[in-house]
Amino acid sequence: MKIIVDAMGGDNAPEEIVKGAVLAADELDVDILLVGDEGRIRALLVQNPAQNPAHISVQHASDVITMEDNPVSAVRQKKDSSLAVALRLLGEGAGDAMVTAGSTGATLTGATLFVKRIRGVRRAALAPVLPTARGGSLLVDCGANVECTAEYLTQFAFMGYYYAKKQMGISNPRVGLINNGAEETKGTDALRETYQVLKKASQEGKINFVGNIEGRDIPEGAADVLVCDGFTGNVVLKTIEGVGLFFVGKVKEIFMKNAVTKLAGAAVKPGLREFKKMLDYNEVGGAPLLGISKPIVKAHGSSGAVALKNAVRQAVIYAKSGVVGDIERSIAELRQSEED
Amino acid sequence: MIFEKLSKLVADQFGVHPDEVTMETSFSQDFRADSVDLVELMMAVEETFSLGEVEENDLEGIKTVGDVVEYIKDRVKED
Repeated sequence: MKIIVDAMGGDNAPEEIVKGAVLAADELDVDILLVGDEGRIRALLVQNPAQNPAHISVQHASDVITMEDNPVSAVRQKKDSSLAVALRLLGEGAGDAMVTAGSTGATLTGATLFVKRIRGVRRAALAPVLPTARGGSLLVDCGANVECTAEYLTQFAFMGYYYAKKQMGISNPRVGLINNGAEETKGTDALRETYQVLKKASQEGKINFVGNIEGRDIPEGAADVLVCDGFTGNVVLKTIEGVGLFFVGKVKEIFMKNAVTKLAGAAVKPGLREFKKMLDYNEVGGAPLLGISKPIVKAHGSSGAVALKNAVRQAVIYAKSGVVGDIERSIAELRQSEED
Repeated sequence: MIFEKLSKLVADQFGVHPDEVTMETSFSQDFRADSVDLVELMMAVEETFSLGEVEENDLEGIKTVGDVVEYIKDRVKED
């Protein structure tokens, strides 16, 4: 198994990315192909030697796509950027999966152009895991597609269903539609139409649709897969992050009030640390790009070495699990049933 | 000839029947195409019609299938 890693993408690249790649090679027993400035990467590999150097190879790419670049044109104009080269290599079959902490927009565009979508998939989606009371829910889509038709949303539901099943090990994932009310008449035209399509598919045993999910039910884990357009997904994700940080800050304030509360604070500190860890990106790894014909994991831009290693682990499971094949089959079936 | 080849490409990318594609078909209005869709289509056009790379500026003028046909004709003439 070989994982291609964009060594120059992310706030802490290339130092933390190379460190994380070495950790992954050592701990996960996979081959890593690092793409980026060869001189810098080689120097970092000397500082952080892998237990088995044969696990790591380097492909030089002279350029870097930055957050300021236009995502659509950058991947075409900056042909020798680490991201574009890494995606082309994946498309050509030089590796089994790819990991990047670089620009989300450029990754999505490049993935669509160089690796291609699964046949029949109208839009690729970014699907991070939201921390919930039940562990986590997959949020599809989270920022890639601002406006979505019922067709896109239905495809997101199936892509998320199979990913949650294979990658997260949930035997029959509960799929919900984020909406402004539980009744099936709620929401926009696209949401109402999606509801009916998923309801029918659920009755036919093709998916496990649990209906509309309201915002307040998200944190308790009302569904394993939360389907929405990218605009809504982004707002949901950022709100949950913000509320989590606000909550931790407030609790800290309460405990720091006086000597007695400080003592009580010391007693619950390990529990609070656990809570903070739950909300930490570095523990989760990254978000898969669903709908692309090969596995791609987008690690958070601020990923450190551990986050990168976890993203590589996620990519390995993604590649081994056969999710891409499952999505391909389900999309073909969906299109067939539309034509019938 | 150009149109026949192109309509197959367009149909394939947007998941419609080639008969549904006309010179007037608008990518954004009829297929809800976004900028990535358009770049994807034009990359396929480059390959199928053996054209050099499509410039970013040229993309801006492309709204309909007819625009692409004109674009291909112009590029073939240049070569």
